[in-house]
Amino acid sequence: MSVINITDLEKIYRTEEVETVALNKISFEIKEGEFVAIMGPSGCGKSTLLNILGLLDDLDGGSFKFNDIEVSDFNERKRADMRKHNIGFVFQSFNLIDELTVFENVELPLIYTGIATAERKKMVDKVLDKIQIAHRRNHYPQQLSGGQQQRVAVARAVVNKPKLILADEPTGNLDSRNGNDVMQLLTDLNEQGTTIIMVTHSEHDSRYTHRVINMLDGQIVTQNIKV
Amino acid sequence: MFKNHVKIAFRNLFRNKSYAIINIIGLAIGIASTALIFLWVEDELTFNNYFSNKEQLFKIKDRQTYDGKTYVFDATPGPLAKSIKTDIPGIKYAARCTWGDQLLFSVKEKNIYSKGNYVDPDFLKMLHLDFLKGNANTAFSQLNSIVLTEKNATKFFGSIDVIGKSIKINNSESYIVSGVIKDLPENTSFNFEWLAPFKIFENKNSWLKEWGDNSIITYVETEPNANLADINKKIEKYITTKSEGSTVFLSLYSMNRWRLYDNFDEQGKEIDGSVKYVRLFSIIAWIILFIACINFMNLATASSEKRAKEVGVKKALGSDKKTLVVQFLSESLIMAFVAATLAIIITYAVLSPFNNLIQKHLSVAIFSPLHIVALLCITLLCGIISGSYPAFYLSSFNPVAILKGSKSNTNSGAGLIRKGLVIVQFSVSVILIICTIIIYKQIQHVKNRDIGYTKEGLLYTTLKGKLGKDFGSVKNNLLKIPEVKNACLNNSALLQSNSSSGDFEWPGKDASKSVLIGMEYVSPEYISTAGFNLKAGRDFYPDALADSTNIIINEALADLISKRDVVGTQIYRHDGGTKYTIVGVVKDFLYNSMYSKARPLMLFSDASKANYLTMRVNTNKNLKATLSKIETVIKTHNPDYYFIDEQFDKLFKTEALISTLAGVFASLAIFISCLGLFGLASYIAERRAKEISIRKVLGASVQLLTVLLTKDFLKLVIIACLIAFPLAGWFMYNWLQDYEYHIKLNAWIFVFAACLAISIAIVTVSFKAIKTAIANPIKSLRSE
Repeated sequence: MSVINITDLEKIYRTEEVETVALNKISFEIKEGEFVAIMGPSGCGKSTLLNILGLLDDLDGGSFKFNDIEVSDFNERKRADMRKHNIGFVFQSFNLIDELTVFENVELPLIYTGIATAERKKMVDKVLDKIQIAHRRNHYPQQLSGGQQQRVAVARAVVNKPKLILADEPTGNLDSRNGNDVMQLLTDLNEQGTTIIMVTHSEHDSRYTHRVINMLDGQIVTQNIKV
Repeated sequence: MFKNHVKIAFRNLFRNKSYAIINIIGLAIGIASTALIFLWVEDELTFNNYFSNKEQLFKIKDRQTYDGKTYVFDATPGPLAKSIKTDIPGIKYAARCTWGDQLLFSVKEKNIYSKGNYVDPDFLKMLHLDFLKGNANTAFSQLNSIVLTEKNATKFFGSIDVIGKSIKINNSESYIVSGVIKDLPENTSFNFEWLAPFKIFENKNSWLKEWGDNSIITYVETEPNANLADINKKIEKYITTKSEGSTVFLSLYSMNRWRLYDNFDEQGKEIDGSVKYVRLFSIIAWIILFIACINFMNLATASSEKRAKEVGVKKALGSDKKTLVVQFLSESLIMAFVAATLAIIITYAVLSPFNNLIQKHLSVAIFSPLHIVALLCITLLCGIISGSYPAFYLSSFNPVAILKGSKSNTNSGAGLIRKGLVIVQFSVSVILIICTIIIYKQIQHVKNRDIGYTKEGLLYTTLKGKLGKDFGSVKNNLLKIPEVKNACLNNSALLQSNSSSGDFEWPGKDASKSVLIGMEYVSPEYISTAGFNLKAGRDFYPDALADSTNIIINEALADLISKRDVVGTQIYRHDGGTKYTIVGVVKDFLYNSMYSKARPLMLFSDASKANYLTMRVNTNKNLKATLSKIETVIKTHNPDYYFIDEQFDKLFKTEALISTLAGVFASLAIFISCLGLFGLASYIAERRAKEISIRKVLGASVQLLTVLLTKDFLKLVIIACLIAFPLAGWFMYNWLQDYEYHIKLNAWIFVFAACLAISIAIVTVSFKAIKTAIANPIKSLRSE
């Protein structure tokens, strides 16, 4: 079963004078349980692609099936609904909310999907245990190291048990030791069945994945499947 | 260095265009409001300044005490002026003056009504009237002479070369023009268009010779070095030396007090008159200005994070705190000056509607030195007030912390002050809203009060020429018009009663107490025309002679005489004379004050002293046609008439004006506060954009995010309401105590004001909140 199936996907940015083709008729499929890296130089369209895959941005042409459902014509509300139940995000700059504690940050997606308080507490505690940060549950993000913050961000992305995790350079702001920790965490999640798509610049990180999609100037150059 | 400050200041204004516009518009409106209010205040405070000898000018007040209550009047006896001028040293001039007479002037074919006074020659001298033609010494040397104002002379004759010309008055006698004076400015206590010798008036009214009849105004000019205490002492019991047993006491009342005070409490002590409104609006002016300054403080500190780096770099490069303070202050000063320029334009633009509103002819007179200095001071003050807090706040940043990029925790203190300032803004706005509603409701409450008869359809005209003498035939002709229901003669216009006496007695009255009783001289149709209800006894007989010793009294007087039936009781003056028998009791109706209970009143069936013809007409029919029919009947005498209901509305002029002004300034205060709130909301939205995006990515809905962004501001407005309620309540409670008949403070007024403020705040904030909530989250998350 494929989680993502795109065909001839196009994204064009228009300003008054220029039209920039960010994604030029790209097609690929990602199966359930896969761990895929998207690589390429700056400006090749990786982030644009990730935003579209995350249902944060709309596309200008082609077809996009998420869980075999055509979502290219979804409006904002339907996309938001699909997003909050199926997709978790991990960002390079963590994007934790400074005013909320570790616990509250992780709890947030559960509030938005409407899960009851007691149930929420159980789920958050469980995931904080799993990433071994439960002892800092009442701390604020600023009081944690970068690696810890990113682990919290990963916890927040998975607390909802999404089918798909989209990670945008998750180790970009971390040193190698913390980076490895986060990559290990993602690998573990993948082994437990979560599909992961990760944008990365790092050859090192890409070794954790099953295959690498190489992009250049809005097009896919290779879709190298590793053994 | 200064050039550098100005350059950075302007660049900053341009870079933060929207905040700069919010600040400048808010401040400009604030300065313009203040300018308008102060122009009004200036006009009030310089009232009568036209008279260079203002300090020496007085009118004589008369005090009478009845039943422990002291009443203070302007009315004095006819012989007083002449007598004190000779008897009391220090009095340079003394002049009698009538209350103001409207006469019909006929020059060739022109018939024009014009208001003026009969005055003694001293009046012309004490006011230093500026004679363009003729002079003050000779103007009144002939009996039937008249002095015209420049404007009036031009209106009648088309020129001011009119000495010796004749004018026909009220279609009977003729006066010869003996002088033309320059028009007085509007802000004086006098509004006469002509002056004629008091002698003319005196010859027609024999009662002016009596010391016991307080009936005209006496003006006095003292010698510049006169001892006022001495004069007052001599004048106080002066009347008792002329009329034995008189309880009337006199005192000088300075021209300085006429306009803004001239109000007395029950002990006869002077209390605040309209000066309280001058004070109130001055305070409101400063508050509005402060509200506008708050906007600048708030937006400047809120955007301080943006400026933090600039401060850090400058400090690192060696700038000291003082230089930074000067820089930020020059920024706010520049903004204040831009706002002041805009404010001048706004003031010019709205001056004419403002003049209409307050019924004045103020002018901006921007080049008058006082105005320039005042504007300059206000502008500097605004610049310094709004700039000082941000200047000290911003310049105290620690450069190391800023440049390292670690977020300073200084923000929480500034945030608290910001919140406090927003609360202040909204408290003031809510107080003004509440006051506006309560003043408006109080006016409506009194206007809708049952005054004892139906005002609508009653109209009156002053008796001119032979109208009073010919009343019988005039009335017959009037009643031939189907829409005219009735007509009568009376000596004071309805809503008023001008004569009163404390001399009356009746069997069983406590002789030690005197009661002030109003007296009305009317034709027999009076009660049926006005539509008063008889409570006991009968109405006057159609033949007035049959009731020449009978009176009808009102309930208020009846209650004083006896708890039982008073019909048949006799009333008489304590020094003897006619005994009047009460034949009827009329239900109370209000006169003179619409705020208090009806005062005791007696009606005499005697139309010989009448000054007015009152008619009741059916207003359902075509009123214009009816009026023109009435005009054909009374035209030969007097084509001028007034409606009681319109006169009634005029009684509320001051209150209506205060209510409108409070409303206008409440709206402005709210508007300026909302400008600030909008700016602050924009800033907060900007600052929280990333957080909002994260929440959105995690699945928060637009509604949820809007609520999240609006909630904090709402809390502030609600706190503001809680602060405003007791203040406004206390303030309005005191104001209402000035009126005997007043509304009760009502909780819904407060709730309504709160809801209004809250909804306005919600609309202001949510506009920005929704915009932020629907924005695409990836824009603010792209932080690389």
